Amino acid sequence: MKSYYSLTYFLAFIPLLMIIYSITPKKKRWFILLIASLIFSYSLSGKLIVYLISSIIVVYLSGIWLKKINDKCEKATENIDKEEKKIIKAKYNKKKKLILIGSILIHVGILIFLKYSEFFATNINTLFEALNINIHLPIPKFLLPIGISFYTLQAISYSIDVYRGLIPTEKHLGKVALYMSFFPQIMEGPICRYNETADSLYEGKSITYHNFTFGIQRIMYGILKKCVIADRLNPLITNIFTNYNEFNGGIIALGAIAYTIQLYMEFSGTMDIVIGTSEIFGIKLTENFQRPFASPTISEFWKRWHITLGSWFKDYIFYPISTSKPFRKLTLVLRKKLGNYYGPVLAGVTALFTVWLLNGFWHGVGWQYILFGLYHFCLILIGSLISPLIKKITDKLHINRNSKGYHIIQIIKVCILVFIGELIFRAEGLQACLNMLQSLFTNFSLSSFKDLSFLKLGIDCADYIIVGVTLIIIFIISHLEEKNINVRELIAKQNIILRWAIYYAFILFIIIFGAYGHGYVPVDPIYAQF
Amino acid sequence: MERLIEILSDLNPDVDYKTCTDLIDGHYLDSLSILSLIAELEDEFDVVIPTVEIIPNNFNSAAAMWKMINRLQEEE
Repeated sequence: MKSYYSLTYFLAFIPLLMIIYSITPKKKRWFILLIASLIFSYSLSGKLIVYLISSIIVVYLSGIWLKKINDKCEKATENIDKEEKKIIKAKYNKKKKLILIGSILIHVGILIFLKYSEFFATNINTLFEALNINIHLPIPKFLLPIGISFYTLQAISYSIDVYRGLIPTEKHLGKVALYMSFFPQIMEGPICRYNETADSLYEGKSITYHNFTFGIQRIMYGILKKCVIADRLNPLITNIFTNYNEFNGGIIALGAIAYTIQLYMEFSGTMDIVIGTSEIFGIKLTENFQRPFASPTISEFWKRWHITLGSWFKDYIFYPISTSKPFRKLTLVLRKKLGNYYGPVLAGVTALFTVWLLNGFWHGVGWQYILFGLYHFCLILIGSLISPLIKKITDKLHINRNSKGYHIIQIIKVCILVFIGELIFRAEGLQACLNMLQSLFTNFSLSSFKDLSFLKLGIDCADYIIVGVTLIIIFIISHLEEKNINVRELIAKQNIILRWAIYYAFILFIIIFGAYGHGYVPVDPIYAQF
Repeated sequence: MERLIEILSDLNPDVDYKTCTDLIDGHYLDSLSILSLIAELEDEFDVVIPTVEIIPNNFNSAAAMWKMINRLQEEE
């Protein structure tokens, strides 16, 4: 098993796990999930699972240590006055902070060492060369355990939440291990918080007909997105992004749009499989997407796209920086001078910049990822700064900001900005990225669409029609969901004949129109590589 | 509570703060607005809002914010 998209996963791993899980007493079921998770992780990463296990042990021990200090602090502050309590608490808080910093440093250190050593060494060598310094650092290359970027963030969130007193310390090593390694989410997230998933992970809920059918429904929806759209577009995207020098700006734009669709379908499709699999076992994971392409601003787009990553950065980077003591003081002074709206901007901008720099860096090793992060930082910043101006202009021109037309224009604007961002993200290196952007803006032409040569770039007319029809189906489902209509409940309410006719039609659609076999190379799980 | 509603209306006048219960989850307040709001609340109600309190549950409605402010004032 190298990913969720394998017959071994669907036809052997999951059914076998369901049987063993069902015949195990309720109280021990979490242990079965843990064993399955470790087997799954081992099948993905082999011996590199040792990094995951180390991470689990560090997180567990830091949690236990923090609890011990908390208990000691509580005892020491019993029946004493307020002022004395504050002094004692501050003393214990220092110790707690040291443990937290230790845990974070170990996790971030392992991640940087394994993921970024090569990047840093290469860039330092380039710098030395440019400065005529005759030193050449060896370029280290390490194999990365799958999912390290995801479980590292989960580990940090657990330690910080225990430190902040937001969650209780988990005393059972096995239960911490399950939270960290739960098999459906180990490859691509979602990055769940302990207080959101722990209870349902350990509860051992029975597999009910409702959970099973709803879980399978969600999995099928994910497979549809991945196999019919993401995989089918793959030859076109590979061709455009590899041979970008041969194409005009029109085709580069097509590549950017196709890649954005592919990334969304692959990532959100995988999330459907992840959340659907968990649903079978009665475990509710946090949603990672909420129809991002219905967003009227880039800021909102990031609240709907990879939600758990955005909320992680917000809670553990943005607010701790922007509400730190020095920035609080600065905000207080600036508010008096610049007013309520622009007063906190400096604190916000510094925190936002850090968030997007780290966000770009987290996504991958390469300057194009950093450029991608900074691009979105600029978009969000400009969006926030000009928002009062836009309000004034639209009011003066009597444009109704709540009208449908205005909303649609906003959505189109966001889509175009996202397409450009994803072009930066997918480009094969910084130079390729800059060349493609140059071609997009200086050599834009629709000639390849007029002479139909765009149909010979890896996929043909039939592929475009299949992708188009499937996108329309997904658009209708998303539109209904945006209007708070639960499509899954709606199907479940139909009589048995209609219901199963829909299910079979769905399965047949995937079998007939899925892109597999000769001529197709399925896209690798994109986010698992981060 | 009325002063709190006034502060919120200054930030985004298009929301009915007496009934809205998803100010964060419904994307009515973005991160920069929250920073502005925190500074204003700290100034107006003489409290310190620690980072751990900046969670959707405390900011999703005017009532939740009011509850948090009262709690922090008591703890001071």
